[in-house]
Order: sequence, then structure tokens, then C-alpha cells
Amino acid sequence: MGDYGVILGMALVTYATRAPGIFFLSGRLAPSVERFLRHIPAAVFAALCAPPLLLPAGSFAPGLEAVAAVPAALVAWRTRQVLSTILTGVVTYWIIRWLE
Amino acid sequence: MTSTPARPSPSTFQDGLRATLPLVPGVVAFGLVYGVMARQAGLSLSATVAMSALVFAGASQFTAVSMWGQASGGLIILTTFIINLRHLPMGASLAPYLRRESRWCKAILGFGTVDEGYALAISRYLAGDGSRAFFFGVSLVLYASWVLSAGAGGMLGGQTLDPARWGIALVFPLTFLGLLMPLCRERVTIIVAAASGIVAVATAPWLPGKGNILVAMLVGGLLGALLEARWATTE
Repeated sequence: MGDYGVILGMALVTYATRAPGIFFLSGRLAPSVERFLRHIPAAVFAALCAPPLLLPAGSFAPGLEAVAAVPAALVAWRTRQVLSTILTGVVTYWIIRWLE
Repeated sequence: MTSTPARPSPSTFQDGLRATLPLVPGVVAFGLVYGVMARQAGLSLSATVAMSALVFAGASQFTAVSMWGQASGGLIILTTFIINLRHLPMGASLAPYLRRESRWCKAILGFGTVDEGYALAISRYLAGDGSRAFFFGVSLVLYASWVLSAGAGGMLGGQTLDPARWGIALVFPLTFLGLLMPLCRERVTIIVAAASGIVAVATAPWLPGKGNILVAMLVGGLLGALLEARWATTE
């Protein structure tokens, strides 16, 4: 299998994980399935933000990232703005790194 | 639930472009690193760019490149599939909002269902002002920055880059945090988010390659469905 063959295979299997949910769940869903899917967004966001903030570089000790996440979370709660959340977190991170 | 405000008008394509701009530095930083790594692993410049253009999945591309030349093509493809399985429930949770879109539209937005694109798009749908135009705008910015930065990184060749150094790597978790917090206004959502976050952190050392994300989101979704069903019968 050449390089492009592997790349094509990767592209196909990746698309096969993304499109089916959108295509085949187009009818009405059972209430239990709807209840499950309704909670997926919050579960995804939490699963994607917790490890890099709490376990940077795979270590088991929270570091500066976790500290920076506290004011960022408060700003996110108050403003509902992604940009202000990012700026608060990154600037806090810079400040504590500079103070260290 | 709080009182429902008047339904906001749907977000536009330009809103999608604008909402994605804060993510561009992070995407570009990772795209550059990917490009450099791919060339060091022995991929040609065109194969490096082709992978970003066709696969469009950061975590699995990094993993593939680190396996390149050492593992068989079949194993790389299988690993890619497992890493990207987490997109299956994400696509399913988008389905109710895309029900009335055309087949072509679904096909293209399905390709755009990457973590960041999904997150921005579903947040708008949940807020009531989601639209396919917004989703297209988000996908276009993410795709263009990912593919172009892979090319730039591929041309840089032997440099070493560390996006963690300037806190740029923080942009992604902070984005997801910024999208999560506004959702945490119901008791059940707070429990789902806490459980999912804890499971993702606790299983990270045993489930590399984002397997922890898949497990955490399934646990969170199931817990939410169970709690809601139970509270609906007791209240």
C-alpha cells in the first residue's frame, strides 16, 4: 500500500465516522435516544477541555493551565463569549508564567 | 428552564467566519507542527498536504505520522478509525438540526464535523440561532487554516516547533470551556459535564489517542438520559 493508498483509507474511515450520524438519524427518534443525544454536546465539551487543562502533557499533577482555567471559567459563565474566555485564560497563563 | 426569549435570527456565513477566527492561531500552530512532523516521517510535501485536505482530523493525523514507516498501512487506517469514532455520536447529535437540509449539504457538513467545528455549530443550534450557513463558515475557516498551515509546515522541514510554549495550545481547551459554561444552567447538565470531565481525565492514561473522549461522552450521555428519565417519573 503506497502513501496515497494509506491516506485515502484514512480519509474513508474518518468520513465513515462523521457522516452516518447525520445521514441515517433523519427520521424521528425514540425518546430515550433523544434524551441521550441531548446530553452529548455538554459531555463532549467537558471531555475535550478537562484533560488538557488538568493533565497538561499527560502528567498527573494540575499545573498553570488549571489555575488559568478558573478565571476563564468565570468569564465564560458571565459573558458567554468564547473570545473573552480564551483571552482571559491565555493572559492569566502568561502572567503566572511571568511571575514564576 | 428559564423563560424562552424571542427566537433569535439565524446566524450568517459571516458570523461563522467571525466566530472561528479566535481559533485560527491554534489551528495554524498545530498545522505547522503536523507539516514538520509529516516531512520528518518521510512523507512528500504533496502527501503531507493531501492528508490534511482529505482526512481533516488532527489527532489521528499526528498519530498516523508517528506510526508512518513503522506500522503497516492497515494498522494506521484502523487506528485512524478508532481515534475518530468519537465523531459518530457528535454527528448523531447534530442530526435533528440538519434533518431538513439537502443530501449535499449533509455530505459537506459531515466532512466539517471536526471537534472544533462541531462545538461551534452545535452551540448555536442549542442557542436557537444555528444555521447551515454558520456551520459552512466555521468549516471553511478551519479547513483552510488546517490545509494551508500543513503546507507551510511541510515546507519548513527540519524546524522544531512547540505550541505549548506560548500557551497557544491552551486555545482549544479554553474554547470548549467557553462553550460548556453557558450550557451549565440545569442540574442534569452540570452532573453530565462533571461526570464526563472526570471520566476523560481518569481514563486518559489508559486510553490514548482520544479513546478517553469517546468513553467519557458515552458515559455522560447515558448518565444524562438515565437521570432525566428518572426525574421525569418522580417529579
